[in-house]
Amino acid sequence: MAVVRINVGPVHPSTHGVLRLVVDVDGDTVKLVEPHIGFLHRGVEKLCETRMYMQNPSYMEKLDYIAPLSWDELYVAAVEQAMGIPVKEGAQYARVILLEFQRIASHLLWMGTLASDLGQMFTTFMWAFRDRSKVIKLLEDVAGSRMFYVNMRLGGLYQPLPKDFKERSLALIDYIEKTMPEYIEILDKNEIFLERTKGIGVLSKEDAINYGVSGPVLRASGVKEDVRRSQPYYVYDKLKFDVPVKYNGDSFDRYKVRFEEILQSTKIIRQCLSMMPDDADVVGAPIKLIGPAAKPDTIITRRELPRGEGLIYMIPDKQKPYRISLRSPTFVNLSVLSKLCDGVKFADIFSIMGSLDLVLAEIDR
Amino acid sequence: MKERGFDYLNKITAVDYVTHLEVVYVLYNTSTKQMEVLKVKLDPNEPEIDTIIHLYNAADWYERELCEMFGIKINGRKIKRLLLEEWNGVEFPLRKSFVWGKEYKKAV
Repeated sequence: MAVVRINVGPVHPSTHGVLRLVVDVDGDTVKLVEPHIGFLHRGVEKLCETRMYMQNPSYMEKLDYIAPLSWDELYVAAVEQAMGIPVKEGAQYARVILLEFQRIASHLLWMGTLASDLGQMFTTFMWAFRDRSKVIKLLEDVAGSRMFYVNMRLGGLYQPLPKDFKERSLALIDYIEKTMPEYIEILDKNEIFLERTKGIGVLSKEDAINYGVSGPVLRASGVKEDVRRSQPYYVYDKLKFDVPVKYNGDSFDRYKVRFEEILQSTKIIRQCLSMMPDDADVVGAPIKLIGPAAKPDTIITRRELPRGEGLIYMIPDKQKPYRISLRSPTFVNLSVLSKLCDGVKFADIFSIMGSLDLVLAEIDR
Repeated sequence: MKERGFDYLNKITAVDYVTHLEVVYVLYNTSTKQMEVLKVKLDPNEPEIDTIIHLYNAADWYERELCEMFGIKINGRKIKRLLLEEWNGVEFPLRKSFVWGKEYKKAV
């Protein structure tokens, strides 16, 4: 049969954004997949060079609209490092708690959309959104807005935590730990889900390292690499948690790694809540449009975002950053797609793409 | 570098210092958890650099990005298509000579 070239996207329900795929198929077998990106390019790196330091966090949040707080924190941490501002101890705990809640919310959304991509209808989707909205509600009460928090300030947070924050967080993680086994019931024992994820899109350990993927995708291929462990920031070195690793490297393992990360996150939050002082001072400095007093050379800040490793390479200047370069984890994770899709069936492209957890705004920047 | 165990290419980026261009390689060792940063100075008028795609596959998209955003010529590989859709390939957005807010023409 002759090879036929098919255009998928740019607007397709399974691409979670605006992504165009050029697919060569022979019958139903995929010969070549080439992602074309750039439909959401806004030039964030250039934009940041024209704005003062603390005007930028809200742009950073729009990079990843599913887990905005993580990018917010990554950027503010880079600015803190440039200016030499220490983070208050209470704020360190509060930031870790909020970041882990954000990770749970992001993974839950991913789980729901993956299941609905795979034709599992809407049960998982509705359950995941039900649980996610509870997390989002808590974050909203902390920050004041529902999607884009802009909650980080130099040295701390924007405002004090609500009075009943501890009780509510404890109740919420109890709830999440109680409901997570339900997902095992509906996904791990679901024939359709297993058929469409097990052994699909296998990424070997050597390839995973060579292609530079990060986060859950890397850990599902058997590499134990997590910035929270290898270069601990804030209070992560005082906490006890595991880094979940799987060894098959297929879509199912990527699902499993993220699933276990949710449970590890609840563990981290529980420890932080017990270690955090009761009337901790978490409020950071108000926004001042100034830069670092002494000009440091280069700043490299790494963080473990929900989707993988985020890195900011910054050349600071007096008033504005001279250059900001962002390593977005999904940018690299998408570049491996053509490798993973070699020789699979056409419908499996979306299973693989879903399991990579793409956010196109972050890829195009 | 790869022989010394730096098996993970984290990031390639570049900085325009007007007097020269600097290409930055951020490399990482997954077994010893070390990070190393390599910087290469280039002539801003005719920037050229050798490809490292035979060592790290991760370099593929980053090198295309360098080509598109800074106009750096990558020796040793043929770039069929730049990274983003439909940019003209004459002006380079992340150079300092590219003015924010000015209108530039797209490729047709």
